[in-house]
Amino acid sequence: MMTRMFSNRMNIIYLLVAGFLALLPFVYDSRSLLILLSQVFIFAVLAMSYDILLGYTGIVSFGHAMFFGIGAYTVGVFMKRFEPETSYFLLAVLVTILLTAVVSYIVGLLTLRLKSHFYAMLTMAFAGLFLVLAEKWRSVTYGNDGFTFRVPEFLKDRTDFYLICLVSMVIVFILLKRFTNSPLGRVLQAIRENEQRTESLGYSVLQYKVIASVVSGVIAGIAGILYAVSLRFVNTSVFTMDITLDALLMTIIGGVGTLVGAIIGAGIIEFSHHWLTELAKVHWIFERWIIFFGIIYILAVMFFPMGIVGSLQKLKFRKKKKASVPVGSETVSQGDS
Amino acid sequence: MDVLINLSLNGLATGMLIFLLAAGLTLIFGLMDVLNFAHGGLFAWGAYSGIWIYTTTGSFLVGILGAILTGMILGIITERWIIKPVYGNHVQQILITLGLMLVLSEMLKVVWGPNQISAVTPDYLSGSWEFGGIIIIKYRVFIIAVGFAVFLAVQYLLKKTKIGLVVRAGVMNKEMVQSLGVNIQRVFMFVFMIGAGMAALGGMLLGPYSGVIYADMGMEFAILAFIVVVIGGMGSFTGSVMAAILVGLSGSFMAYYVPDLALAANMLLMAVVLIFRPQGLFGAKG
Repeated sequence: MMTRMFSNRMNIIYLLVAGFLALLPFVYDSRSLLILLSQVFIFAVLAMSYDILLGYTGIVSFGHAMFFGIGAYTVGVFMKRFEPETSYFLLAVLVTILLTAVVSYIVGLLTLRLKSHFYAMLTMAFAGLFLVLAEKWRSVTYGNDGFTFRVPEFLKDRTDFYLICLVSMVIVFILLKRFTNSPLGRVLQAIRENEQRTESLGYSVLQYKVIASVVSGVIAGIAGILYAVSLRFVNTSVFTMDITLDALLMTIIGGVGTLVGAIIGAGIIEFSHHWLTELAKVHWIFERWIIFFGIIYILAVMFFPMGIVGSLQKLKFRKKKKASVPVGSETVSQGDS
Repeated sequence: MDVLINLSLNGLATGMLIFLLAAGLTLIFGLMDVLNFAHGGLFAWGAYSGIWIYTTTGSFLVGILGAILTGMILGIITERWIIKPVYGNHVQQILITLGLMLVLSEMLKVVWGPNQISAVTPDYLSGSWEFGGIIIIKYRVFIIAVGFAVFLAVQYLLKKTKIGLVVRAGVMNKEMVQSLGVNIQRVFMFVFMIGAGMAALGGMLLGPYSGVIYADMGMEFAILAFIVVVIGGMGSFTGSVMAAILVGLSGSFMAYYVPDLALAANMLLMAVVLIFRPQGLFGAKG
């Protein structure tokens, strides 16, 4: 009952924040802030998809950029080759979902049997293959330089696009929340906690991992679509390790296995990236902003492996536990401290 | 014929550089069960510090020694403060060493600036020999010789000395070695130091070979080294040298005949090996 109430209160908070963000463009009209927030929402979608793998299933993929890039290139190619109309855009979304599902299924089937190290490396290799493909298949991708494209009418307005990103993020959040709370999601968490034990309980671990990888891949593809549309430009950088690293940093700093953490992490990273690059005018060290994140990230892995949200939850949990302890023992522990 | 010999030499030289990086990785993995994703960072640090010392002192040899020393010091720091707290937890190891990689390559840009730095070959190693119309570049032969010498030295260390015996036993069964009264922590540190030193040496040698050094070279070569470690078999020292030569040769020949597929070929090779023989071609453990 406690948890029920707790989650209800959290839902109200989420609703308030979402409502605030939805009203923001009508109250405070700042183009740069809207663009920045759109980026936050897009990367939040990517980070949430990564969280399904890292936080809920306990596997580290270094090839997540692969799905992001597939989404970005699919929409780019469709808009460039055909007319930038709504119907083609929807077709591109459909093709992205199909492609990412197929690729993540095949890659998952091939790689998820391996132990964590090998899996990480092999996914890195597969993402590398896609990067090479995007560089060399010039007739479609225009090589390293990439290409610009026009977007359908309904995506042109920055405010509309901002709202679309926000809605996408909220929908993905709700869907993934449902997904992780479903029996299937519980099995994934069991795999994270103890793989052998889950297997000996009769669950086909590989199958579940593949499902997680497909879900995560499709969502990452959708993030890729939004990203390409926001820039109206796509080049090979969408397939690079940097995208995977961004997702990794956001998830870790925000808190693994929480979904909200991924959103918060995306906000922190995107905003501080923005501010720190502006600070670069003050002192050159801020140009190397990634160094701060690297250090924070290492410290986070060492001391706060659960990230911001995870640590807060733990604190809350501990408090609750303390409250439920009989009165006598509590006074003793208070006396101690 | 001319082309074939030059490509082979080129491939061998690149292979030896990859070997220097991969040997440390494979030993560290075999012994400690840690895959060090920051190894490429040590490689790049070796290159930068070595070239810097070389250009300030003017002595190539001092540069090499400086690079190795830098690598060893960084290796000790890495083992002590970064990897030790997360022994036994694979996911955390992957995450933390990746973070270290980020910090190491960004630190390079902070210390030496974000631009490429050019590296020149010392006089006595520049130029080339000519045998009956075939031109052989001296520096490539030098790299192959150094790589081979390091291979022999480490092989001697592993096979003929007491510490090598302990390391080999540790690769087979860590707990047993520990229960026989060996301080395995110290062995870990020793191996990490040697591995980091080799990586730094490789980075330093790469400088004059490619002409320029840049901060991202660590990651580029680290990917090749991972491929080598997988193909050769995790923890297999002999496997790493064989696979490194294989990858080096395939890289140089592919780059000449089908340049578009050079990197893809190696990645595909690794994927095939991982899927059909996950323990690697020479590996004993999976």
